[in-house]
Amino acid sequence: MSLWKLAFQNFRKQFKNYLALILSQAFSISILLNFQYLRFSDSLAVLGEQNQNQLDVLVNVISVILICFMFFFVWYSTNVFLKKRKKEIGIFVFMGLTNQKIGQLYMIECFITGILTTGIGIVFGIMTTQLFQMILLRLSDISIELNFQFIPKPILLTLLIYLVIYLFFILSGYISIVRSNVLDLVNTNRKNEFVKQNSFSLISKTILGIVLLGVGFYFATKDGGIEVISNLLLAVILVVFGTYFILGGLVPLIFQKLAKQKLFLYKNQRVLWINNMIFRMQRNYRTYAIVSVLMLSAVTALATGFSMKTRYDNIMHFRNTYTYQVFSVRSDLEDEIDSLIEKDNDIVVKSTTPLLFLSDNKGVLSYSNLKALAKESRQEFSLKEPKDKEVIAVSQLHLLSLITDLSDIKVEINDESYTQIDETSIPYMGYLQEITEFFMVNDQDYQKLLDQGQQYYTYNYRISDIYNFAASNDELESIISDQEDTFTGRVTIDPDNKETEWVKILYSLCIFMFIVFIQASGSVLFMKNYEDGLEERERYGVLKKMGINGKALRLSIAKEQTFTYLFPFILMSFSSYFSIHALEKLMYANLLPVNIVSVLIILGFLLFCYIVSVFSYFKTVDV
Amino acid sequence: MTNKKVIEIKHLIKSYGLKGFQTPVLKGIDLTVYQHDFISIMGPSGSGKTTLLNILSSIDKPTKGTVLLDGKDITKMKNKEMSKLRRDKIGFVFQDYNLLDTLTLRDNIALPLSLNGASGKTCLQKTGELAEMFGLSSHLDKYPYQLSGGQKQRGATCRALITDPEIIFADEPTGALDSKSSKDLMQCLQSVNEQKKATILMVTHDSYCASYAKDVFILKDGLIQCKLSQGTDRKDFFDRIVNTQSSIGGDFS
Repeated sequence: MSLWKLAFQNFRKQFKNYLALILSQAFSISILLNFQYLRFSDSLAVLGEQNQNQLDVLVNVISVILICFMFFFVWYSTNVFLKKRKKEIGIFVFMGLTNQKIGQLYMIECFITGILTTGIGIVFGIMTTQLFQMILLRLSDISIELNFQFIPKPILLTLLIYLVIYLFFILSGYISIVRSNVLDLVNTNRKNEFVKQNSFSLISKTILGIVLLGVGFYFATKDGGIEVISNLLLAVILVVFGTYFILGGLVPLIFQKLAKQKLFLYKNQRVLWINNMIFRMQRNYRTYAIVSVLMLSAVTALATGFSMKTRYDNIMHFRNTYTYQVFSVRSDLEDEIDSLIEKDNDIVVKSTTPLLFLSDNKGVLSYSNLKALAKESRQEFSLKEPKDKEVIAVSQLHLLSLITDLSDIKVEINDESYTQIDETSIPYMGYLQEITEFFMVNDQDYQKLLDQGQQYYTYNYRISDIYNFAASNDELESIISDQEDTFTGRVTIDPDNKETEWVKILYSLCIFMFIVFIQASGSVLFMKNYEDGLEERERYGVLKKMGINGKALRLSIAKEQTFTYLFPFILMSFSSYFSIHALEKLMYANLLPVNIVSVLIILGFLLFCYIVSVFSYFKTVDV
Repeated sequence: MTNKKVIEIKHLIKSYGLKGFQTPVLKGIDLTVYQHDFISIMGPSGSGKTTLLNILSSIDKPTKGTVLLDGKDITKMKNKEMSKLRRDKIGFVFQDYNLLDTLTLRDNIALPLSLNGASGKTCLQKTGELAEMFGLSSHLDKYPYQLSGGQKQRGATCRALITDPEIIFADEPTGALDSKSSKDLMQCLQSVNEQKKATILMVTHDSYCASYAKDVFILKDGLIQCKLSQGTDRKDFFDRIVNTQSSIGGDFS
């Protein structure tokens, strides 16, 4: 029999067992392909070049995350193949096959699986590209006509990425087989030694885990200037490793201690499942840590999406505070502008205020003037009057704010140092607030600064039908002047402006990533449990032969699986509070509801996976 | 010997294969096991030893005949009932020990009792007693991979005994052991039978091990050919078993 025939036979026999692994890899190929399609197709071109550039960066970042996923899935699958094969291949050694030949057999089998996986992944990917883009744009509230395009570039690129990862693992598997000796090959699956781990190493891991998590949480919530972003990165890395050590140290430690309490252990099937957990935890904690991190990423992705969306809505609101803003050196324009606008539109909100424009491009507002403006434009005003040499920043809303510590910042106004005591982003000055840095000082300081800059008057209007902005535009043109003594300028806001459309897409992408992350974490846990079930078959066979009743065995399985799902979930819920808290500071948004909702969604999804997993386990071990 | 019947086999027939092409394995076995018996069933390969044990332990169903365990016909029982019976009335000792490698010896022994809902205290106490009896007290916190074959099999026997079953079925318990370990195990089984009054039914091909039983039934071609009883001297019993084997013929290995 040729190696090919043998490999094909092996593959056919094991097909059912490998289906989950094949499908998970195919899924990762499909998703990556969908994203590559998004990058290379012209669906997003209508949003304008600036939006597209922003989105390209985003899609690239997400692609990198997806490639990491793919890497993990392939690593995991090829490892399962390798382990299974190593055991079966041991038999071939006794038939006289050399290690090289056995390695070749493994490679051929992987090759067959690889072809099947890429086939399913690519075909499914191409089939879903249009659907994916449709859902994405619908979620983003953007209407674009979509046509199916066949573009070879994303397909080839996806294939190339997958193949490179796959070949890397197959080759390392081949080398591992060629280098191993006969005894190892035969005994790979029988080694169940070191069931219990050294308490000292577990305690060390636990302490290390707690320290890493603690420091990570500290960095995640620490206020600071521009170093916030590097703090956050550091926090992410620390939390990931902390999770890894907690699951590898604390959890087995607790179970090992429990297993020693025999009076506790010999109750309610604990003797079976607690011992099983000790055994499994040692082998699986890395997987559980990865799942924890995946779920944490899911919650963070969703929260990012929501805060971006809220921020976007805020900015839109900011811009649309006023439809027209006229600024002029003249203080007597109010009536003239009123009549010009009222020719075609109804005025809903109107406010005027003097402001000081300094040579260093900063705008200065006085406390009393701003208070009066707030009253006119019916906006909230709860700021205290600054003392001498103090300012309150009247600033724009940022999509992302890296500086989280806003108190005691020194501000230079015309070479004099002021202390910033507070900041507001209520849109008192409308669009002007977005393009100019405004500071509010007390009335005395304002008077002192008057002769150091040019005082302008702003006339702000909001009309009842903001989409009818163009009608009064021409009328207002008549008052525009560029003469120094009558200088008058005007800003008109188009509510349909597409400049920040990419944020809307980001929002849908974040929701999408949330789904991908939780789907991945659920399927990783499910696959792991399925694989465990295959390994446990023999043990449950023994228990059945001993006459242990099915109900006790099923209960024991259900409890073991509960903890398998619960540990990563608990750890994630705990960590997510901190990651979301950090995000809240960065985004100036209340994300606790998003945190709770996303954790609940994950809980629901895991519950579903758990139920499927438990029943599949019953079937696998036949109880 | 008391007169309480633990197992009563009446005209047990078992055939394999399709109708018209059947191969008879058991051709009509009649056997009664009383409380505190220690019975060994011997026979050449293919004589039907394992089939008989499988039917008795409710893993297989007979073609004809009845098997009464504690007065109930196990051939007509439903799965749930059978499972309960196996749990409460039968203990098993397998050739390949079948200890769970993820549990310490103590947990392995306590497992059936603990899963049956006994209190932790009872589990611990009984495990301790049995381990003492089988010389395993100092090995209780070891995992199976740290134990020798003999220790594992003695542990497996403790596990079978812990629920105080009506009867213990042992399928070639010394099959994987060296002669020293075999002897230790058989001595243990003997003392369990004598001191704890356990009822044991053992299938073996080893005449030496069989000689520890009180009665030996020799099976050939699906029928019980003869029954030998120990008498007073074990060595004499052993000689008689060997002589009977050679007169019956066939491969006993």
